[in-house]
Amino acid sequence: MGMLDFLNIDQLMYGFGIALTPENLLYVFIGVLAGTIIGMLPGLGPMSAIALMIPIAYGMDPTSAIIMLAGVYYGAIFGGSTSSILLNAPGVAGTVATSFDGYPMALKGQAGKALAIAAICSFVGGTVSVVGLMAIAPVLASFAVSFGPVEYFALMVLGLTAVVSLGGRNLVKGLISAVVGVMIALVGIDSQTAIVRFTFDLPELYEGVEFLIVALGVFALAEVLVMLNQRGKGGVRKGVTSLRLSRREVGQITGPALRSSVLGFFTGVLPGAGATVASFLSYSMEKKIARDGDTFGQGNPKGVAAPEAANNAAAVGSFVPLMTLGVPGSGTTAILLGALMVLGVQPGPMMLSDNPGMFWGVVASMYIGSVVLLILNLPLIPLFAKVLNTPRTMLVPLVVVFCVVGVYGLSFSVFDLGLLAAFGAIGFLMRRNEFPAAPLILGLILGGLMETNMRRALQISDGAWSVFLTEPISAGLLAVAVLSMLPALLRVLRRRHTPVVPAGAAGAATVADTADAPASTEEALVGAENGSAEVSGDRTGTGSTTAAGSEGEPGEQAPPRD
Amino acid sequence: MSDDTTARRDGAPAEGAAPSRPRRAWSPRTPVTPERAFRFSPRTMGITVGLFALGYLALAFQMPDYTAVSVPVQPSTLPRWLGVALLALAVLLFFQRAPEQEAAAGSAAPGSGDGTPTAGGDTEASATEGTDAEGTDGAQSDGERSGGAPSEGGEPRLGRLDDPRLEIGLFVAALVAYVALFEPLGFILSTALYLGSMTWYLGYPRHLVNAVVALVLPFAFYAGMTWGLDVTLPSGPLPF
Repeated sequence: MGMLDFLNIDQLMYGFGIALTPENLLYVFIGVLAGTIIGMLPGLGPMSAIALMIPIAYGMDPTSAIIMLAGVYYGAIFGGSTSSILLNAPGVAGTVATSFDGYPMALKGQAGKALAIAAICSFVGGTVSVVGLMAIAPVLASFAVSFGPVEYFALMVLGLTAVVSLGGRNLVKGLISAVVGVMIALVGIDSQTAIVRFTFDLPELYEGVEFLIVALGVFALAEVLVMLNQRGKGGVRKGVTSLRLSRREVGQITGPALRSSVLGFFTGVLPGAGATVASFLSYSMEKKIARDGDTFGQGNPKGVAAPEAANNAAAVGSFVPLMTLGVPGSGTTAILLGALMVLGVQPGPMMLSDNPGMFWGVVASMYIGSVVLLILNLPLIPLFAKVLNTPRTMLVPLVVVFCVVGVYGLSFSVFDLGLLAAFGAIGFLMRRNEFPAAPLILGLILGGLMETNMRRALQISDGAWSVFLTEPISAGLLAVAVLSMLPALLRVLRRRHTPVVPAGAAGAATVADTADAPASTEEALVGAENGSAEVSGDRTGTGSTTAAGSEGEPGEQAPPRD
Repeated sequence: MSDDTTARRDGAPAEGAAPSRPRRAWSPRTPVTPERAFRFSPRTMGITVGLFALGYLALAFQMPDYTAVSVPVQPSTLPRWLGVALLALAVLLFFQRAPEQEAAAGSAAPGSGDGTPTAGGDTEASATEGTDAEGTDGAQSDGERSGGAPSEGGEPRLGRLDDPRLEIGLFVAALVAYVALFEPLGFILSTALYLGSMTWYLGYPRHLVNAVVALVLPFAFYAGMTWGLDVTLPSGPLPF
């Protein structure tokens, strides 16, 4: 027992006490179920799922609300694997790598097996990662307690640049998104000086632009418009077969699942690197390690196990920076942070000491969520597969109605509904032109905090801007922020100098440009949370396509290796 | 929109996979393929973002300073920096290479070859649809589409118009109409109207199911929100 002290067993028990109340159990269940279903629908990823569920979370107790929304998050990542395997059309960018081997398995008549592997490995990844969260978060939080406004400002700059630089292949477009996001955050009455900024004398804008309007518009509504633009094309449907795994197969996937869980967790902790980067990293790692690595892409169970364990582990891992620093490391956790702030909770290093019930309740609920996910999904997979039959002709107007109700229920203002439509159109245009949307949301959420911390820092330093570079921690964070943009910058420079792009990258880019599968454009959007959206474009058709898609890119597309 | 024309011309080799496809690319009534619709060249985007940045800067520099107490950061400080940063980024964007050029460079790559058959197939599908549309001038009766001509995905194609730009425009217009009618008609009526008509328009073949969903769902929503969550949605002319 003594060995496990660092895991804070007492607090965890306390957390279970909170998470196991019937009310919170119900919310975990609702969250996981809703997340799984929304994540399964091709076109709607975890960001849309969380944004769509926020209106329901309003008015709830903040602890219950975040327990539910966290459930939506990992439920959505799990749900995405189902459509990856059955349709070859990932509902979530984090499960693109799953389709490399999952879809070939389905074509071979092993869809049930692939789904079972996905469910089990998601469970393993989630569980391993929660242990890591418990071990790391308190340490990080006690370190971050000493952070002042200078450090926070630097940390937020790092958070923004990390999401931008890992978010897509175009640094300039990512930065434009981030800057515009901060600009939107500054609309309204300035909290410090009461001067009105960028409201065009519209009283509706005095309070600023509600983050939910932007989130629903730029994600959910924009995805619907993209679906419409693509004419709702999808993959070939395959039935679900037996879920049973042989003992040999279980032995086969144990190693990859455990290794990928650890890798996924640490990738998730890094700012900017989310579930997608983790899944591609682990896929290429297992492909290199495995003796039968050459059969990856043709339906190797290990190729399903690795990304599934990794993306769930990363989803949990990304809660570390969110809960301990109050700075989201990805677009999805940025939406979660926005939801928390609306509920009146400011996560950060003080949360563990001020509001331990929330932290440990969420941690405990993740264990429970993993179990619910497993119990819910193994027997219900055939039923869930029917969700995939929801006709898009009906889905599209329904999502619109959900968005409208969500926004109106928040503000009771038709003006805000107009804003919603406008942001939907903006989000659609952004997606069509490969502007990542996650930096916009992150900028919107961090913008106000950034300005507040900048002001406090400069107040303390009497207006000397050099303070950001003379404080060691801040200088270090800003240096990392600049360094994090280097790989992307180098890529831009290299591209300019060499007219012929390396075959793999160019191919992926082309397909993403033409963007015919609904999944691939959606990647371009969700791509912000991750790094490797481009690869997905390759898997439109046959098994050989899938193999080609999985060939070289994963390693190449995953920049966060330095 | 002139950019779209150049875009298509540049991208022609990538789409040329469908051999029997008529050379529609040159006729003025050409529908834009979904792959090309709403995509703009870096120049257009750079200019748009740049104009936005200039407008933003103009507003930022008109902003009054806060003089009651001396503060190191004026409310206009961060906006001015943001405006300058955005302007610089817009310039960088302006000088970026168009994706079409990269696409042309990469069209020989193995990865892109897989995407093209699908693209070609889609163009053909829309071509046949197009002849219909020209005959009846867009006002197609429900019967023609009710089969919901399954595309390769086995799902009915969304929408009726040939040009995705018009389709998106119509969809957004319908959304705006829905929003405009939201309070005057009330939630139940406006939502029923919107759901029913959009689902029908987008091509859902089973009208009875559609009617039931469009009538039951708004009511269930209204009941849940108003009586369950205490979120009052507009009732409109309905008495409850």
